[in-house]
Amino acid sequence: MNKNQRHLTGRFALFLFGLLIVMSAKAQGGPPAGGSQPAAGGGAMAGIGLPLGFLENDKNYQFPDDISKYTAKDFLMLVRKTDIRSSFYDTDMSATITTVTVSPERGTFVRKEQIFRRDKDDAFLMITLEPESRKGQGMLRVDNNMWRYDPTSRKFTHTTLKDTYENSTVRNNDFRRWQRSIDYSVESLTTGTLGKYTVIIGELKANNDEVPFPYIKMYIEKDRKIVLKVEEFSLSKKLLRTAYYTEYVQIGNSYVPTIQIFQDGLIPEKRSQVTYTNISTKAVPDYYFTKEYLERVSQ
Amino acid sequence: MRTVHLSMAARNLRRQPHRTIALGGAVAFSALVMTLVSGFVNGMDRAIQDNVTLYSAGHVIVSGYTASWSGRFQNRFAGNDILEELQRAWSGAKAVLPLSQARAAVVYGSREIQLSVRGIRWDRDQLYKNALILLQGTWDEALKPRSMVMSSQVASRFGLSTGDEVLVRLSTASGQQNVTEYRVAAVYDDSAAGGMSTAFVAFEDLAADLNLQAQEQQAAAVFLDSADQAETAADRAAAALKGLGYQVLRQSGAESSGMAGTVLSRGASDNSASAAGVEPVMRRAVPGTVQFRIATVQELAGEIGAALGSVRWIGYAVFALMLVVSAAGIANSYRMVLLERMREIGMLRCIGFRKRDVFALFLAEGVLLAGTAAFAGALAGIPVGLAAGLIPFNPHGDFGAALVQGHLRFLPTAGQILLIVLFETMAAAGAVFFPARKAAAVLPVEALRKTA
Repeated sequence: MNKNQRHLTGRFALFLFGLLIVMSAKAQGGPPAGGSQPAAGGGAMAGIGLPLGFLENDKNYQFPDDISKYTAKDFLMLVRKTDIRSSFYDTDMSATITTVTVSPERGTFVRKEQIFRRDKDDAFLMITLEPESRKGQGMLRVDNNMWRYDPTSRKFTHTTLKDTYENSTVRNNDFRRWQRSIDYSVESLTTGTLGKYTVIIGELKANNDEVPFPYIKMYIEKDRKIVLKVEEFSLSKKLLRTAYYTEYVQIGNSYVPTIQIFQDGLIPEKRSQVTYTNISTKAVPDYYFTKEYLERVSQ
Repeated sequence: MRTVHLSMAARNLRRQPHRTIALGGAVAFSALVMTLVSGFVNGMDRAIQDNVTLYSAGHVIVSGYTASWSGRFQNRFAGNDILEELQRAWSGAKAVLPLSQARAAVVYGSREIQLSVRGIRWDRDQLYKNALILLQGTWDEALKPRSMVMSSQVASRFGLSTGDEVLVRLSTASGQQNVTEYRVAAVYDDSAAGGMSTAFVAFEDLAADLNLQAQEQQAAAVFLDSADQAETAADRAAAALKGLGYQVLRQSGAESSGMAGTVLSRGASDNSASAAGVEPVMRRAVPGTVQFRIATVQELAGEIGAALGSVRWIGYAVFALMLVVSAAGIANSYRMVLLERMREIGMLRCIGFRKRDVFALFLAEGVLLAGTAAFAGALAGIPVGLAAGLIPFNPHGDFGAALVQGHLRFLPTAGQILLIVLFETMAAAGAVFFPARKAAAVLPVEALRKTA
């Protein structure tokens, strides 16, 4: 072996060594710290469970100026707009939420929770901060898999989006990104006013039989294009719940309903108010959305 | 052992009545306690099976799950052919009936309560009309459409009486929310049903509320002559469903509500792992895939009745302790008897009694005493047990499921009583064995000299 060959062999060995180090580091390192990168795949794949092009199609859709001229397609596009704007597909979201539940039988109950959301992956983590007796309890959802964690028994129990949240009028589904434009189709449209706001009122019917509320009635404000009120009906068309979105905060491109009131349709005295504070769009590490993390942080 | 030994033993027992009563009393008491324990445990076992049959709606429950368009399993299955196949699978089945059940919120005014609501084919009911005691209303009213039979506990909590209208909020088989109205047509005594709070409505009404299609049901309830046949019937049902092409999977305590047990499925299925790197939980399947889950009343009763095992073992321990105490008492007493009757033994040996006659005499006395006392004690346990069965207990307490109409059921068997008498007699024989052997070994001359 001459000098050149020895030199080449040495360089090749050095390259292999470097490659080995890089691969080892990748293999042993944790997941990437950032969760704030745009959704994987960008254009074609919008996110877990979302139809192709959900976020991109008709971005510059022109809505009629006259609300009486809205068609079913216009309204569905409006609903899609509210779906997208109330969610965080480009960033993660964390916030503190306070839920005050009033029930004629149980009285008033207040809970405070820290939540973390990654809408592009349809992932969600909630950790109870108050009351002291419930501190450390948690809820984790990834796509349609949902678990509750009890730090006392150290056990996870499976739950569903359709379940109510802690005997309140809030459902687990209310903590999820909105996707009404996927689940429903428009049946009829009217216009009206809600307080001082002019609204377009759309009656929607579920596209499939696995959506919890088969019929809903949405009240969307004409100017800001935000949802102010949603009435949810049972299969027998009885009013089950009314959701009021009384306050919004704009964060980047998103409009977050910071005060949400859910009133029971059968027992009107039973209602819950969910208030979002300390909203942040900072990146959340990937490992937050794991059972291991929930278990660890609950201690 | 000859008749003479027995007659002499009986005479000896009569001769010392105080000692006989004391010893016999101890033996009789232990037999009485054991009779009570075994009788009540039997009664609780049977009560649990009866109550679980009420809870589960039949002796064998075959629940069906069909994969929807999204691959999620929904608690529903179609086809009367399944019911017919189940009927054919066990010729002893009295009936195979469709069943529906939902966890629902019953709302009355501003109050609501979570209840199990069960849909029953009233026209072919094999269970409830016989088992439930109506405190208000009549079965005629209860059989009318949109009528509900409610437990007395729930009715009193709500201040409900017959004729009142309630709202029932439930999820359909596919998970949609639904609200319907029912009229309270009858109120049953829940204390007579193991504290059960299930509300009953017509199968057709609940099926409509659950958005089940024609010919669809959530489960099939198989009624048998006896709960003892349940396991065999379940095996036959599993085999029959397998014969129809369903894949058989044994899986208990699975994720879904209500009716648990053996799982059978037909069609492909796959597990979708979560993106969080945790184990897969949500099971997805090819749309149209049907799974069956079979539960028997004995499996369900076994879970509730597990606590009875400890009661039974405590009973055995008490019995064993009492046997030891009585045996020790008998052994001590007969050592005394040996000393007291030394002269008598000497005389008997002198007039021709052999060693084995003396041994047999002692043994006969012990066996006669223990056998008679144990038998008397066991017999005395029967009225005591029946009387204790009159004491009312809280049917909603820990042992509510083991009660019948709020009372303990006392079910002693002849075999158990015979076993108790046999054990007591054997213990007495064992206790008397050594004093008897010592008595038999006594030399007549020595005996007469010592007691002269």
